[in-house]
Amino acid sequence: MDGNWLYLSAALAVGIPALATGWAQSRIGPAAAATLAEKPELTVTVVLLIAIPETVAILGFVVSVLILLQGGG
Amino acid sequence: MILEMSRIRVLGPREELQSVLERIQDLGLVHFVDFAETEALTQLVLTPQQERHLRNVRRVVEDVNTAMRLLGETPAPSRRAAESLTLPRAALIAGRARRALEGLEDRRRQLEEERSLILKFQPFFSTFDKISTSGLDLDGIRIFYLVLRVGGEQELLRLRAALRSALGEGFELFSQPSASGESAMILAVSSVDAKTAEALLSEAAVQPLVLPDQFSEGGAIDTIRRMQARLKDLPRDLAEIEVERKRIASVRGRDLVRIQASLHDHLSTITTMEKAVVTPRAFVFEGWIPSAARADLERRLQKSFGGMIEVETISREEWEGEMAPVVLKNPRLFRPFEAITRMMPLPSYGSVDPTPFVAVFFPMFFGITLGDVGYGALLAAVSLLIRFRSSPNTKPRAVSEIGLACALFSIVFGFLYGELFGDLGHRLGLQPIIFNREEAVIPFLGLALALGLVHIVIGLSLGAVQRFRGDKRHAVGRAMAAVMVILIALALMAAFELLPERFFTPLVITILVLFPILIVAEGVLAPIELVSTIGNVLSYARIMAVGTASVMMAVAANRMAGAFGPVFVGIVFALLFHLINFVLGVFSPTIHMLRLHYVEFFGKFFSPGGVEYEPLRHWSPREGAV
Repeated sequence: MDGNWLYLSAALAVGIPALATGWAQSRIGPAAAATLAEKPELTVTVVLLIAIPETVAILGFVVSVLILLQGGG
Repeated sequence: MILEMSRIRVLGPREELQSVLERIQDLGLVHFVDFAETEALTQLVLTPQQERHLRNVRRVVEDVNTAMRLLGETPAPSRRAAESLTLPRAALIAGRARRALEGLEDRRRQLEEERSLILKFQPFFSTFDKISTSGLDLDGIRIFYLVLRVGGEQELLRLRAALRSALGEGFELFSQPSASGESAMILAVSSVDAKTAEALLSEAAVQPLVLPDQFSEGGAIDTIRRMQARLKDLPRDLAEIEVERKRIASVRGRDLVRIQASLHDHLSTITTMEKAVVTPRAFVFEGWIPSAARADLERRLQKSFGGMIEVETISREEWEGEMAPVVLKNPRLFRPFEAITRMMPLPSYGSVDPTPFVAVFFPMFFGITLGDVGYGALLAAVSLLIRFRSSPNTKPRAVSEIGLACALFSIVFGFLYGELFGDLGHRLGLQPIIFNREEAVIPFLGLALALGLVHIVIGLSLGAVQRFRGDKRHAVGRAMAAVMVILIALALMAAFELLPERFFTPLVITILVLFPILIVAEGVLAPIELVSTIGNVLSYARIMAVGTASVMMAVAANRMAGAFGPVFVGIVFALLFHLINFVLGVFSPTIHMLRLHYVEFFGKFFSPGGVEYEPLRHWSPREGAV
């Protein structure tokens, strides 16, 4: 694959999921803050809810690395 | 592990109920439950006399709690015998101490208010020094105390112009900037012109400060002098209050602690009495006790009350539907990790306590992610600091011990990766033993997924073992899911030639054969569940992702040392970046490892809904009861 396309693919593979994660966390964050104001005992649940969308970005990162390594190899 | 509990029934003569409860309180082992009424047994109802006694005890408890809060310290309890402190005597001591301490508190508050009020006038003190040296005669003069906000010069000019046009030369306006940037101003006008000046101030929206009542009389200079004198006296008055508080603490503190503990204990025995059922001559109550301590309870009750008290164990069939309270008991090494388990609701009685697994996998995953000798040593130092500054059996102590375990694993994996503050280790001759994380991304990903596979299979196996006691079909389903996940992983390895290719076909055939069995055991949703489980394994890729990000940040920090011209500037930037990376390197793996445990691992077997074990025991000021 042409080098430029390779880098663009790798960037998109991590960039788009990262944007999606950011958007999801931006929706969860305010709701989480409001929840904690009323029920501080839900801290663990809230932290987990915020951490859940990060999986998408992490898998995007893994795919990006694989694209770069496959292209390089 | 979750301790095995026994449901016990205690029977005895009614007149001994109070003494039996007090003895049980000494042992601190029995968690009481409400007893269902029957025709022969009725709920114990307190007599009007006992009700009155209970109200009195509650009032004294409130007095002593308030007194102790105002005392602000907890002296060692007095050794005076309990019987020498009867309820009336305790009520007298607690009531007097409360009233005295509340009086002191009111007085302290008044003095603080007075001080803050005088401090508002403090900027005027130096202005008055100006007046006293100006030779201005203040007889028949009305003084206004004004504060001009920062940048209010225009207002001052306008006010001065308005005063000049209304009063001519019949006023004096002294201004003195204060440390805060505001200006303290004093407007002196003849008493005759006071009303006009007031109106002008109101039009200029300048609010004069009103003198406190005790300083409102007398001349202005005299008032300010009295304020200055009072400001000097206030610390002495406040110190006198503190001396008096300390005197009460030394004279009555120990008695108050004793009263507080004994009355809290007394109150809890009275409220527990209401859980008993009675006949005209006997009492019965039920509760939970760790099975291992049951014989000890019986022996001690026998020793104290002879043969009058009967303790019988209720068979499991009788309480099958009820939930026994949960006591987590783990070896010393694993105990700090109960703090992680307890961040979730307690596991239900009879289920698996995940603490031992958390104690092994949490620090290990953390260490694999952080994996740096330098950061590990820093984390160990921070953890040791917290440990030395915390008391035993507190949350900070547990956090420090978890931190130490994580630090140990980080140092071990740091040596295996050859990392010391990133690639600084390589430069100093520290060679990677398993792989170099900067380059070996795929082996690191493989390690993360393999760990995920092991963790998830353990979770599924625990779920199968747990369900085997009840629903055997679902237990088989859980076990089958574990086998399927392993087979799929092996098939994928064969497909990618990590295993000999000849294994691929037999593995796929085995999966296809087992698939219908899984659906029969777990239901039609089993395939979705299986896909979700494989997704859970892939989620462990975060170990590699977060770990790689951490090492790359450290490498970037090291490269800063030569990238900013002078070496000194580069080193400062590098240290700063390492510090940021250390904070992120501790925070981020913690959140992700918690998530892997709570969502991926616990999801396979954890059964929440356990009842907290709250035995009748002696009260202590630190945790309410011990």
